[in-house]
Amino acid sequence: MPRYTAADRGKPRKKKRPDRALAARLEHVDYKDTDLLRMFISDRGKIRSRRVSGLSVRQQHAIARAVKNAREMALLPYASASKGSGR
Amino acid sequence: MRQYEVMVILDPDLDERSIAPALEGFLKVIRDLGGSIEKNDIWGRRRLAYEIKTKSGKKVSEGIYAVVDVQATPDAVKEFDRQANLSETVVRTKVIRPDQR
Repeated sequence: MPRYTAADRGKPRKKKRPDRALAARLEHVDYKDTDLLRMFISDRGKIRSRRVSGLSVRQQHAIARAVKNAREMALLPYASASKGSGR
Repeated sequence: MRQYEVMVILDPDLDERSIAPALEGFLKVIRDLGGSIEKNDIWGRRRLAYEIKTKSGKKVSEGIYAVVDVQATPDAVKEFDRQANLSETVVRTKVIRPDQR
């Protein structure tokens, strides 16, 4: 799960704890690593914005590209229009 | 020669035993054009994130996934991709160069 969600907005930010294991996976983002990618999409399937995901520009680009590749191969859903049915 | 990673989604109605031969048939082009197959990872049946309409107009909600690491020339991979997408048993393909970024 992402560390910062929309619900956290406005609240004082907790100090970022560096996660070495996660940082390693972000080094070379693989579109097949759906568990990782799912951390950066909402339950409706949309890619989380940088200010929510807390990623660097480079990481965000890599994640966005990987999510789009994964979507093409039906590993991840495209954003679902209807509310609630977030597959 | 370049390193490529090819992902193929095959028709889920394909018989379990005919997966490997079918895949082999597509990969033959790569060998014929001087490439080599380094790793062939058949994931098996996997649920799709959304339904896909196949070439024959059938809707499928599952697919047989395979990821193949290949060392080949750009032309060989291009030809493989073209031929695979002509086949009715192939739902989708993707070619990736893993060393790129």
